[in-house]
Amino acid sequence: MNEFFVAVGLGLCILVFLVLYRVIFGPGVFNRIAAISAIGTKTLIILLVLGYVYNRVDMFIDISMVYALLNFIGCIAAAKYLEMER
Amino acid sequence: MEVTLFIHAADDAFRILENAKVQAVGLLDTATRLTSETRWMEEKKVQGILKGAQATRSGFQNFVATFVMLMGFWALLSGKFDTFHLSLGVICSVIVAYLSHDLLFANVRVGDGRVIAQRFIRYIPWLLYEIVTANFYVAYLALSPKMPIDPQIIRFKTKLESDISWVTLANSITLTPGTITIDIADREFMVHALDRKVAGDLDTGEMEDRVAHIFMEADHIYIQDVLDVSRIFAELKRGM
Amino acid sequence: MIASSDDIIIKTIARIFVPFIQLYALYVIMHGHYSPGGGFQGGVILGASMALLLITHGYDEVKRRLPEGVVMLLGSVGVLIYAGIGLTCLLLGGNYLDYSQLSVILHVDPAHARSLGILGVELGVGFTVMAIMYSIFFDISTGGILPGDEKRNEELENNG
Repeated sequence: MNEFFVAVGLGLCILVFLVLYRVIFGPGVFNRIAAISAIGTKTLIILLVLGYVYNRVDMFIDISMVYALLNFIGCIAAAKYLEMER
Repeated sequence: MEVTLFIHAADDAFRILENAKVQAVGLLDTATRLTSETRWMEEKKVQGILKGAQATRSGFQNFVATFVMLMGFWALLSGKFDTFHLSLGVICSVIVAYLSHDLLFANVRVGDGRVIAQRFIRYIPWLLYEIVTANFYVAYLALSPKMPIDPQIIRFKTKLESDISWVTLANSITLTPGTITIDIADREFMVHALDRKVAGDLDTGEMEDRVAHIFMEADHIYIQDVLDVSRIFAELKRGM
Repeated sequence: MIASSDDIIIKTIARIFVPFIQLYALYVIMHGHYSPGGGFQGGVILGASMALLLITHGYDEVKRRLPEGVVMLLGSVGVLIYAGIGLTCLLLGGNYLDYSQLSVILHVDPAHARSLGILGVELGVGFTVMAIMYSIFFDISTGGILPGDEKRNEELENNG
């Protein structure tokens, strides 16, 4: 069962690297913000998968909930800042 | 024979409704002819009547409902149910509910909470099914070598009334792959769709009907719709 | 001076989420023994919830719930709790922040007293961190100018 979770985690890491392309080369700020938000959702699932690998899921659920929250608030704050700057 | 009686009855009904509309328009004209102070007073009176007819929750009911939901959330988070931790949970829930009791339940009408919760729970499996089917179609679009997408922006006016139902509909549209809600302005939705087919799925209005069913809205007849039907009916009758 | 956002979706979602975020922050503070958390993390999440309310609903809504004077008071109360518990342990005959001495006041055994002592200290830390996060965010976002002072600052700038 462990190998399955490790494989899932590696697959998600590869997807994160694919989205990283848009963070580096995205023309303009909005593409970068959306890509970072997408990376945040993948990171969340990788954390949970790590929790299963280490057999202590309850601890990792707390961490991933906090990360989801901060991802959400960060995205909204960045959007508000850009709206006010124009 | 019965059909003729039915047609006569429908004719009479449509004529009565037309008269009612003319009278309502006349009343509105009279209202605009009044002076500005009197008009303000009239508006205030009408508002008072409408607000009184729709009893809203009081602050204390909001507080108790928020406290119960927060206590349930605490029990879900912390798996320990001994006295010490439960009393800590009660204290924390009381503090948070006191600080933000008017945030959670701002617009719900009295007595509707349980029905809305039940209907919402029954709506979720249908939404999941829609997401899965749309997922297959968008994956087929994205993976075919020519990528036959046809992006377009759709605007439509919605019949839902409260802000929670707008947000539920907007989130459901965004969760379904292929469509994203861009903006809601003045009851008009702006949705970006990938393709004519996913846009067609949205145009049938099934999602909007289901969301209206959850929040028990839009279940009254609009006079203007009936009068439109009357015009079509008259045309058909003349052509018969 | 941040105005209220005119996007219904974000406003509704933020106002539904904020009580749950605050309760989650208090859960993180209280359960510092058993799961990752503690005082500082919970305080940051509380401050973030206030920041969310500021961004979506504007300055007036947040000022109505937590005016800045109250927040400064909360920050000082947090430090008072921390230092107070430490001094109490000192006065009861042990070292500074030696929680086992608290068993005299609380009538529990020393191990339990240590646990409760750390809980109290984390609570104080949480309050202070929340107050500082709130204060930093508000000072940066309003630029140090309160709503009533805008004209006075303009006059000061014009006069040189």
